[in-house]
Parts: sequence; structure tokens; C-alpha cells
Amino acid sequence: MTGTSSDARLITPTMLGTWLVLATVPFWISAVGLYPYIGVEIVIWSIYALAFNLLLGTSGLPSFGHGAFFGVGAYAFGLTQFNIAANIWVSLAGALLAGAFAGLLVGLFIAHRRGIYFALMTIAFGQIFWTISVKWHSVTGGEDGLLNIARLPVNLGVVSFDITDNDALYYFVLAVFAVVVVLLWRLVNSPYGRILSAIRQSEVRTAHLGYNVWLYKLSVIVLSAAFSGFAGGLFAMAQRSAFPDVMNLAQSGLIVMMTLVGGGLVSFWGPVIGVIVFLIARDVIGAATNAWMLYFGTMFVLLVLFRPEGIAGAAKLIAERWRNRSATPAVLSSETRSG
Amino acid sequence: MFDLLPHLLNGLVLGLLLALIALGFMLIVGLMEQINLAPGSLFALGAYLALALTGPKPPLPADLAALWLRVPIGWRYGIALIVAPCLAGIVGIAVEFCMRRTYGKDPLYGLLLTFGVALVLEEILRLTWGTRDHVLPIPQSMSGGFIFADLIWSTYRFYAAGMAAIAIGLVWLLIEKTPYGAMIKAGAHDSEMVRALGVNLSKLRLGVFVLGTMLAAFAGIVVAPIWGIRPHMGVDAVVPAFLIIVLGGIGSFWGAVIASLLVGLAVGVSGAYASEWSLLSMYLLLVAVISFRARGLFGKKSVLEV
Repeated sequence: MTGTSSDARLITPTMLGTWLVLATVPFWISAVGLYPYIGVEIVIWSIYALAFNLLLGTSGLPSFGHGAFFGVGAYAFGLTQFNIAANIWVSLAGALLAGAFAGLLVGLFIAHRRGIYFALMTIAFGQIFWTISVKWHSVTGGEDGLLNIARLPVNLGVVSFDITDNDALYYFVLAVFAVVVVLLWRLVNSPYGRILSAIRQSEVRTAHLGYNVWLYKLSVIVLSAAFSGFAGGLFAMAQRSAFPDVMNLAQSGLIVMMTLVGGGLVSFWGPVIGVIVFLIARDVIGAATNAWMLYFGTMFVLLVLFRPEGIAGAAKLIAERWRNRSATPAVLSSETRSG
Repeated sequence: MFDLLPHLLNGLVLGLLLALIALGFMLIVGLMEQINLAPGSLFALGAYLALALTGPKPPLPADLAALWLRVPIGWRYGIALIVAPCLAGIVGIAVEFCMRRTYGKDPLYGLLLTFGVALVLEEILRLTWGTRDHVLPIPQSMSGGFIFADLIWSTYRFYAAGMAAIAIGLVWLLIEKTPYGAMIKAGAHDSEMVRALGVNLSKLRLGVFVLGTMLAAFAGIVVAPIWGIRPHMGVDAVVPAFLIIVLGGIGSFWGAVIASLLVGLAVGVSGAYASEWSLLSMYLLLVAVISFRARGLFGKKSVLEV
């Protein structure tokens, strides 16, 4: 998206830096007053937010029912583990495929829509999945949730790691996160990703250039749903259970909020920033008051009003101003807009 | 067939109540050209304000409160039915002023802004009144039940349906029979042209927004004795309301009313066969209709599609 030389690389300096910083988290997280499990949550939700941003930021498709895919993945992880094989790779593949299948099912109905109609249809489908998860007691456990999901050992053929400990789990999800980031970065910067960006800018023009817009939109919905389902599988494993509430409208709205607060519209890393800010704010403000949503919601309203590009957008603007101050102050380079 | 009668009637009543909820949204979505979740919060706020006015502890100085509590409940309920929507309308003015920055931008921003506002208002409701369910006291003559065709019917449901029908009728009169209605309809169709003809569009938008929020708050009070009052009730109302607007076609009065009745009947009748799953029927109805009629039952091409 930025149009610099790092687009073409497999691994960028930003990625390396992010991984290194995240890898040190277990050493200091307790010292700053947080608890280790929040690291696991941040990494898993980051995967989810990056997958979601494939639709919102890259392709310009506002999905307000994305929790459905996350939840489907969570249930699929548990159900695969109980009914097919208690192997972590099989279960995670189950989560990924279930997410992809749900995405295909929804995509067939909504891939030809855009804008607000797209958003409204995703709300309706999100509610359908949520209702099913609440009511289909024999499979999902209803409101009680699907319990006793195990943190299965990571079997690498030669060696096998135990991840029941939170620190071990953290390093496992971080390794998975690293792989997902590389995959998504390549995807966004591939010719395929460029066409998705073109669809975001003008669907009509892209269609007139001869691209099958419907197929691109359907495929990106499936991809985004698959990665969201995968994140849902990890989440079910981390909290050892799956509940319907991740699928409801408010939770689906939260992922939109996180992505926008971070700046998913202007930056690949925006969703990750948003997740970090959101989850830490939830814990810090939540510990200080019993109405954290009041403060976070107010912040969000102000953000949408005055800085809709989010934290990453504001940072870019400041960096741009700083550069321009030292060079020629009057001329705004075109990079501000291309970002 | 006769076994279905209670379900059909319940569905019809539900449909009228849903129409009442959806109308406020319909007016706002049509004219503002953006999706707006705020009426959901004001729906809840209206119910809570009515609770404050009719409940055992009104937010007044002790002497006044004692005096107020001596007024018969029927009068207090009637006054709340008028005063609470007006108070909610004032909050609506504040929300509309916030929203002005998002006009003309991607409709997504309006949706996001009001999502944030909804979260904040819900949290305020939770802080003020707590998370537990409340019951809105209603006059003796409206509560209770009666027996008809060997079945017990709740009296209040019919009063509520009646109030909904009256409000729907008044909105119809406003939209179809007054010059304001003509401006509202024209504004929803082509706001630039309306402005060029000398109508103060920002005043018109403010007026419609306040009217929409007042309708939503009124709907909240009417529905409260049936669904109960809880902080989450705004979100519970928003989803069916939008579904109805999309189903009926954005900007269409009769579309919204007929879609509401359809949804009510679908939920009511499916409740007869599979009560667990009856809520699912409205989503399936939407998917089925939208797959064949992309703009809903009575929809015309709208600005929101771009």
C-alpha cells in the first residue's frame, strides 16, 4: 500500500522489529502490571484484525458480521478436536476450512454488493450464525458454550511441545502470527492485492478494465473468513472453550473499531496497533473504573469525527509534517495520499 | 387453521410494534443518506426516561417527588409518553450536531460514529440504572389479560398495537399530506435539488432527525412493558429495524410498514412450529427477498448504493 521498496520483500524491517518486540513481551509484561495472558489475546486478535482488514482496508468492503467467521472457527476447532482427531494441526485446519466455507456461503449472497448494503447484509448473516450458535444446543452447547477444549501439544514430527503453559502458548501463537503476517503481506502486495485496492477505489472502473470483480470479491471474502476462522480456532484453544458471544453484533462491531482506531484504512499494521491499544485500554481503564466503554467509546467518537484515519494515519501525518519542516515546508509530497 | 390464529394475531401485533420502531429509522436513513444507529440508543433512553418519570423514585426534590407520586399512575404514564420522547429529542439534537461532520462523506462514517455513540449511551444507561431488568409500571386498566376463544390474551399488547397504529397513521399524514412531508421525500431522493430550490437542508435534516429520535423513544416506551427495560434493548431493536428498512426498500413508507408486518407474521407463525428458531425466520426472509429483489420490496435507486 505504501509503494516503497519494502513491498517486494518477503520479510520487511517493520515485521522483524515487531516480532522481536513481541518476543520479549513475557519478560516484562508482569513487571508493568499486566498479566501474561493478555499477550496471547493481543496476538490472536491481531491475526483476526489483519484478516478482517483484508476486507475493510484492502478491498473497501465493510463487514459488520465478521464475528461469525471467528466464532465458526472457534467451534470448528473444538468439534474437530472432539470428533475427528485430537491433533493441533488437524483442528486448526478444521477451523480454517470451516471459516472459509462459511465465508463462501455468505460470499455467494453478498459478493455482488457494496457499501452500506454490503454492511447491512453482513449484519444479517452475522446474526444468522449467532442465532444458530445460541440455539443449536446439541452441537454448540448453546449459551453455556463448548467447554473442555484442550490446548493440544504442538507436534512437529520429531519433537512435540506442550503449550498448556501461558508463556509456551504465547510463543506458539507468536510463531503462527509471524507466518500469517508474511502470508498476508505478500497477498496485499501481490498483483491480486493491487486489484483488490483498485476495487476499493472504484469497482466500476476495475470492471471496465476487464477484471471479474465479483470473483475477486468472493475470493477475498473467503480468504478473510478463513484467516478469521483460524484466529477463532486459536482463541478457542487459548481460552479452552468457545462461546456464542464473540459472534454477536457488538463484538463484530468491536473488530471494526479496533481496526479503525489503529488506522487499518491507511496502513497494513493499523489493525495490530488498534488491537494493542484496545486490549490494553480495556484492562487498564477497566481496572480503574467500571465503565471503560464510556471512555473508549467517547474516544472512538472523537476519532471518527476528527481523525478517521486512526492512529497510524495520525502518525503518518506527523512524520510527513516533520519531514516537510526540514525540507520545503510549503509543498506536500504526494506520498501523504498514496499511503 | 384456527390453531394458528393466536400466532397470526401475535405476529400482527409484533409487526405493528416493529413498524413503529422502524419508522423513525426509515425517516432518518432516507434523508440523511447514511446508516444511523443512534435511534436504537434513543429507543432505550426513551424507555428509561419513562421509567424515571413513572417509577417509584422520580428524579425530583423530595417534596415535588411526593406530590408527583400522588398523581394517578394513568396520568403519569400519559405524561411520560409525551415528555420522555421530548427529552430524548433534545439528546437527538446533540447527536445530530455531532453527525454534521460526517455528511457527504462515505456513509460508513455515519455508521461508525453512531456505533460509538450507541456504545457510550448504553454505558451511561448501565451506569445510571444498573444492568438488571426493569419493569415499566402501566395503568391498571391496561395491564392484565382477557379470555377470548378459550385463550388468554394480554390486554397491553392490544393497547400497544393501537398506539403503534395511531403513530404510524400520524407519520403517514405528515409524509403524504403536508408540505414538510414533500420536502422530506424530495430530500431523500435528491438533496442537492431540494437545497437549490431554497429549502434549508440542514434545518430540515435536524428536524427529521429529532422527529425520528422522538419516534424511536416513543416506540421504546410503548414496547418496554412487553420486552422489559435493559441496557441492551437498543441494540436488540436496531437489528430488526434495519432489516425491515432494507427488506421494504430504503426510503419507502409503505415498504417499511409492509415489511414490518411480514417480519412480524414470519416470526409469529414460525414460532408456532419451532419457537426456538423463530428469530431466525426474519433473517432468512431478508436473505430470500434480497436475493431476488436487490433493493427490497419497494425500493428505488438510492444514494447509498454508490
